Amino acid sequence: MSHIQARDFFRYTINGLRAQRLRSVLTATGIAVGIGAVVLLTSLGTGLHHFVLAEFSQFGTNLIAINPGKVTTHGISGALISNVRPLTIEDGEALGRLPQVLDVVSVVQGNAEVTGGGRQRRTTVYGVGAAAPRVWNIGVATGRFLPDDPPRAARAFAVLGHKVRQELFGSTQALGMRVRIGGETFRVIGSMESKGQLLGFDIDDAVYIPTSKAMALFNQESLMEIDLLHATSSSSAAVAEQIRKVLQSRHNSEDFTITTQEKMLEVLDGVLGTLTIAVGSLGGISLLVGGVGILTIMSIAVNERTGEIGLLRALGVERSQILTLFLGEAVALAAIGGVVGLGLGIGGSRLFSLLVPALPSHTSWGYVIAAELLAILVGLVAGVLPARRAAGLHPVEALRAE
Amino acid sequence: MIQLQHIERVFQVGDEEVHALSDVTMSAESGEYIAIMGPSGSGKSSLLNILGLLDRPDGGSYELDGLRVSGLNEKEQARIRRHKIGFVFQFFHLVPRLTAFDNIALPLKLSGMTREERQTRVTAALSAFGLGNRAQHRPDQLSGGQRQRVAIARATIMQPSLILADEPTGNLDRHAGVEVAEILEELNHQGITLIMVTHDPDLGRRAHRRILMVDGRIDHDSSRTRT
Amino acid sequence: MQLNDILLFSMRAATANRGRTLLMLLAMTIGVGSVVVLISLGDSARRYVIGEFTSLGTNLLIVLPGRSETTGGPPPLLGGTPRDLTLDDAMALSRAATVRRTAPIIAGSAPVSVGNLEREMMVLGSTSELSEIRHLDLAQGSFLPPGDPTRAQAVCVIGMKGRQELFGRQAAVGQWLRIGDRRFRVIGILASSGVSLGEDLGELVIIPVAAAQSLFNTSSLFRILVEATSPEGMEQTRHFILETIRARHQGEDDITVITQDAVLATFDRIFRALTLSVAGIGAISLVVAGIMIMNVMLVAVSNRRAEIGLLKALGASQRQIMGLFLTESAILSLTGAGIGLLLALLGMRLAAFLFPQFPLQLAPWSPVIALAVALFTGVVFGVLPAHRAAVLEPVLALARR
Repeated sequence: MSHIQARDFFRYTINGLRAQRLRSVLTATGIAVGIGAVVLLTSLGTGLHHFVLAEFSQFGTNLIAINPGKVTTHGISGALISNVRPLTIEDGEALGRLPQVLDVVSVVQGNAEVTGGGRQRRTTVYGVGAAAPRVWNIGVATGRFLPDDPPRAARAFAVLGHKVRQELFGSTQALGMRVRIGGETFRVIGSMESKGQLLGFDIDDAVYIPTSKAMALFNQESLMEIDLLHATSSSSAAVAEQIRKVLQSRHNSEDFTITTQEKMLEVLDGVLGTLTIAVGSLGGISLLVGGVGILTIMSIAVNERTGEIGLLRALGVERSQILTLFLGEAVALAAIGGVVGLGLGIGGSRLFSLLVPALPSHTSWGYVIAAELLAILVGLVAGVLPARRAAGLHPVEALRAE
Repeated sequence: MIQLQHIERVFQVGDEEVHALSDVTMSAESGEYIAIMGPSGSGKSSLLNILGLLDRPDGGSYELDGLRVSGLNEKEQARIRRHKIGFVFQFFHLVPRLTAFDNIALPLKLSGMTREERQTRVTAALSAFGLGNRAQHRPDQLSGGQRQRVAIARATIMQPSLILADEPTGNLDRHAGVEVAEILEELNHQGITLIMVTHDPDLGRRAHRRILMVDGRIDHDSSRTRT
Repeated sequence: MQLNDILLFSMRAATANRGRTLLMLLAMTIGVGSVVVLISLGDSARRYVIGEFTSLGTNLLIVLPGRSETTGGPPPLLGGTPRDLTLDDAMALSRAATVRRTAPIIAGSAPVSVGNLEREMMVLGSTSELSEIRHLDLAQGSFLPPGDPTRAQAVCVIGMKGRQELFGRQAAVGQWLRIGDRRFRVIGILASSGVSLGEDLGELVIIPVAAAQSLFNTSSLFRILVEATSPEGMEQTRHFILETIRARHQGEDDITVITQDAVLATFDRIFRALTLSVAGIGAISLVVAGIMIMNVMLVAVSNRRAEIGLLKALGASQRQIMGLFLTESAILSLTGAGIGLLLALLGMRLAAFLFPQFPLQLAPWSPVIALAVALFTGVVFGVLPAHRAAVLEPVLALARR
């Protein structure tokens, strides 16, 4: 039983590939393009994944939203349609008394014309409470946010979003000015920092007024949503359960929907992860074609080198060693192509990040290693058939072919 | 018909320049039967390649039928090969996947002849060379002599004025060799110029004129000694 | 050389080495097949969504309360507004010549019960005209009766699924059910049980708009659907709506009018872009297949040097040889594309059979694209090998045996 030394084995393999340089380069290029596509696509997918999760988790994972009505298969939140059993400010207050709950905002959203500084703008009006900046993680730029007035007797104060402030007052002082919203006058006591678009919603184009005022303005009996922050020491699920109990006892039925940020992130995480894998497998089709390329080239090589195989066999090389030699060539082709492909993919995703800075791509090393292993696996699978044929050749017949 | 003037052909082998042909001047009349002989490496095949426009000389000029062909471009040379020259090789050079019929029809196809015209000409050629019942056989189903007859049929199908044969009997047994030689001579008899490379002295003796090549030069030309 | 001779010669050459030819076809098949399937899936999704929108009604305008200067993104959901859209507004809109019908809509969610069976269902308050605008079909009974929309008749039309869950096997038409704290008589069952624009028609209860107003204790409408008489009249109708409502709302522009076309166009664009990018990803595999064709053709050229030399000796020009090899790679890629197309067609048929609820079918233009792309791939990646063959020196080609 003779053993070829690993180094000699390696040399012989590389020699075989170099003898047909152009052919080897092209075959490896096929694999490189496939691996490059997989790496680039998963990088973009992972980048998107991180981006979206970051957008969502800036609210903190300890946020819970309660909407009126059972969200059903309609997919439309109960808040936007009428409901026979509304969610009230008192419900919000009751939830605020739960020990784990840090802050509560009762939200009503509407659309109204805001007049001030001699200009008008139709914008989104949020009816909220004093806790809104903390719960939504937005900062006050000038002045202060709405004070902690009794919910049913709040004073007519308004806080302007960045864009509304700019549109109405430009560079002039807004604090202390009066704005009219739907027939009522509010005094501006603050303005918010610019936050830009948040998942397509422009939260800068908004005005914040007390909840009760907004409910009267929009003639609404129900809140649109209650948002609350709970202590990070207790789990979202446990707090959600507490909330369910409180509201159920107040309403005598479960006519509300609780969405925990944690649950939402989990679902989102799952969806985006699946998306990344799906896009990566689309790229994997190319890898499959690349594998067929290796199979073809290795079959041709076995055909052309029949004489060489006969000679090796005559020199006492065993079948299994011939098998390993040709498998080695196939794997080497795939591995080299894989490494080049990794370079292409990583380079491509870097380039993409430069060109579209808004969507950062992220090369995850897990995928990179998986891709290279996949390339080697492709080489192994594609090499098996030709290598077996080489090993199965009869030495005498193989020699005659020379 | 053929006029070679001071033909030079140099190959680069490693660091060395090898003069395959140096200062070769010769001429041939229409209808001649010439054997080019000489030891291997003497340049006889190189000479044949130049004559067949398969290779370009590095120097000198070549006139064929009054046309200076050494200066023509690739496309024009291809046209001349197609219409004026027929090749017969030692190893037959038949396309293995094509039948005898299709191998003979190949030059006609290349010249764009229609199927109907081809049909009659190839069928005629097959029976003329005694291959009438071998039309649909592939080369590996034919004997050596049959293969060479297919090759000769292919070389003559365009009715060339010149046949160049490179060791046409070199890969055949004695009987088949004589048969092939007789076929070629019969073609020569019909007026086609026949130039043959061989190192078989028996075959060489059959030619009317013998040119002996040594080291890339014409060492001896039987026609010159006569005059 | 005549065209059919070129084709025949190349075909023979391409099929001479069966194993290799099959592998090349396989590569091309995978590439073209995946591109066609991806294009078709994308296109099917596009047609599905567009179809859903079109089934909403034709020449449709949707009037929503509220307006934002920064509208962007698909259907704006604007929440409450200081001034409501009312039933009177809706009735005022039906007075224009270009308006064929209008249907006011109040949407809500309420518990619906029969005996002690109760479930939360989507409740729509509307008029008899909703049925025509939304092309609703009835399985049984009749839709809401026409007449004065301000009259609150205690009748309802329910969806198929709701019917089954509340009444089981018993007849439902003519029976009474309870929505919130009011009683309604069932007069019809909706036939369609599909999902239309997120609303599950099977779980819907439709009641007269006036009844919904008192049930939800509101006078404001969720939206008004307006059907124009013709596609040309859409823009005119839009102006009419905006002007009428402005006049009725003390000169304030506080509504949003969406035309179906605008929404459709947006979705159409999004889906086309998606389809293109997915197909582009699939097309990477075609590039790999192309590289492979190039590789194998290069091998073929070096294996067939003698043949190339012979062809040259027989008087074939460089162009002819180039043509022969290009034809060979084109035949291989086209055949592969054909098989890929066939497999894609079968795959889509199978998918359509397995998921009959989606209109899955081969995109009509995908065969053209696939064949064109395949031909392009074959020729582009065939040029290098063909060129190599063409410039081969005949002497060198023949010398090697």
